[in-house]
Amino acid sequence: MMNRIFDSLIAFGNAHLMQASHNKLAIIACNSKSTKFLYPSMDGTSRSYHNRPGQYDMFAKVDSDVRHGLGELILNDMTDNDSTKSDSLLGGAMARALSYIHRVQRELSLSHQLKPRVLVVSGSCDSALQYMTFMNVFFTAQKENVVIDCCMMDTDSGLLQQGCDITGGQYLHIPSVAGLLEYLLWVFLPSPSCRSKIVLPPPTKVDYRAACFCHHKLVDIGWVCSVCLSIFCKFSIMCTTCNTEFKLNRPAIVPAKSKKRARIE
Amino acid sequence: MADEDETKEYRWESGYEKTWEAIKEDDDGLLESNVADLVARAKRKRAALKDTGAIQLGMMRHLFVVVDASACMFLQDLKPTRFLCVLKLLEVFVHEFFDLNPISQLGILTTKMKRSEQITVLAGNQKKHIEALQQLKDLSCEGEPSLQNSLERAMNGLKNMPAYSSREILVLFGSLTTCDPGDIQKTIKSLKDNNIRVSIIGLAAEVRICQEIAKKTGGTYNVLIDDHHLKELILNQVQPPAVAGSMEASLVKMGFPGGSPIVNDGTSDSSADHAPAYCLCHIESETSSLMGPNGYNCPQCGSRYCELPVECKQCGLTLVSAPHLARSYHHLFPIKPFIERAQVRETTHCFACAKLFVEAETNVIIIVNFRLCLFYHSLPFLFLLKVYECENCNQIVCLDCDLFIRETLHTCPGCASDPVTAQMKTN
Repeated sequence: MMNRIFDSLIAFGNAHLMQASHNKLAIIACNSKSTKFLYPSMDGTSRSYHNRPGQYDMFAKVDSDVRHGLGELILNDMTDNDSTKSDSLLGGAMARALSYIHRVQRELSLSHQLKPRVLVVSGSCDSALQYMTFMNVFFTAQKENVVIDCCMMDTDSGLLQQGCDITGGQYLHIPSVAGLLEYLLWVFLPSPSCRSKIVLPPPTKVDYRAACFCHHKLVDIGWVCSVCLSIFCKFSIMCTTCNTEFKLNRPAIVPAKSKKRARIE
Repeated sequence: MADEDETKEYRWESGYEKTWEAIKEDDDGLLESNVADLVARAKRKRAALKDTGAIQLGMMRHLFVVVDASACMFLQDLKPTRFLCVLKLLEVFVHEFFDLNPISQLGILTTKMKRSEQITVLAGNQKKHIEALQQLKDLSCEGEPSLQNSLERAMNGLKNMPAYSSREILVLFGSLTTCDPGDIQKTIKSLKDNNIRVSIIGLAAEVRICQEIAKKTGGTYNVLIDDHHLKELILNQVQPPAVAGSMEASLVKMGFPGGSPIVNDGTSDSSADHAPAYCLCHIESETSSLMGPNGYNCPQCGSRYCELPVECKQCGLTLVSAPHLARSYHHLFPIKPFIERAQVRETTHCFACAKLFVEAETNVIIIVNFRLCLFYHSLPFLFLLKVYECENCNQIVCLDCDLFIRETLHTCPGCASDPVTAQMKTN
């Protein structure tokens, strides 16, 4: 099954390279331990590529680098028996992708204008602890005009939905993983500029409610601390994030009842 | 600035600076890469100075921008005229301001003919301000400006704002004189009492009263050198300022519409959330009031709005969406500056952008010393490249990535790629 997924991804990458000679490709993989640039490979060792006669050299290079890189990543994961459990480091991978895009744009700035986009293929659920990283990545992508698309297998991810909405990309939840290549080629291969002419899956309405910091429940109306902007579901006297005390707007209640009782008795 | 400190000199009083000695040519005799390098290093220094750790920042800002529209703004020392140059830069400013401070509000005033006029009221809607600025281009600049009148008008607008917000006035002052009806010291005193911070950008020369106003209210006063410097000064005001004195903190009630997504499974949705309705933001304009199922409903009173953030006209609740608040979170968790190191052989690539660190044998810098006629040419002399290391995750990045991370990304990719440091610190 995994082999088929990797095959589909490599085929998709090669299809993108085939579309135009100036198209560029970079592939980053991540798991819960680390993130890694699969292509272009940072190894520095030149491997011999077995390309079939008549095959474009770059396709063979992509194929070989990606498989080698993935093999190393999986082996590292198995041998490293650390007890630190973490969610998949998607935020870090996207941050590296944006830095790479920024650098390539700088290098080509005078000759060519890039139209960069990022495709996230994932099967993991949302990681609430990486919220900050994700949001920083989305805002940076919006600023740099990078479109973030997302192809989700298995589960839905609210954070990635928000990201696709903020940057103007396409979010798709695939019903069956066996058809991954077909979905990738039909939906994600066309560039954002020609997507308006193609009939694509309709955009999902994103849930933009915020989660309160105390219970992580989604709230409709919340109380926001004016200092640190953390959201609470109930009015309280102190902010737990920045430890500022809040001024109550009500006047102090005068204890009149105790006086009356003293007189009667 | 120089006034208070008698030992600090004005530029013409200080010694002779031999600025040509700082510039060196590279291999091809070009200065470009060297200049870019100097600029990048200056940026890093400034960024490092600014990073003073966790200070309380005023996130919810109410800012009035006062534009001088007096006769001196027709001078052409900034092209095409001072006034048009300032308006253009203000459009950029408005855009960046709402980008970085989504829950803040802005208002625009002008001053001319010894009076001041209000162009836009304090509002959080970006488009209205930009349209108003574009219409201002036809305004004729005449008369004398009045600093006191404009400050008083801005103060009247800001007095009623809640105490937890940061109240600011930004004055773009191009004249060397001002024509005031009363004592400006009283105005300064009431500005101070109301916790209003006034920052002034001078377009002509340094004026003493502006210096005093800025100092007493806790703002900044700068005089521009050229139009690039003006852009930089205006964009500096976009960053939330540190809180001056004590700001009352309180919990603000806010609504988060945009829940319950439309379910496309064929069943009819009977809830009122998605029924077609007129939106309240355009209900008074004849042309653009659209009826439709898209939009956001106020959770408290149910009125429909097309865009966020907005203050509900019906019930007064501020409506925002979670990403608007999240935009300001990066101020609360700033990244520590990276440590500069000389490149070591083991790290060949930049962690963030996978750029190969080129050993600078090809970039030999020719140092020509005229007096002694010595020059070092094509020695395989390894000019070690400076690389930057993050304290927490010990990953190495190049100079460009360092600037990118610091200014735009606000997260270290190394820390985000490490399972231990990737988890959020709070909660």
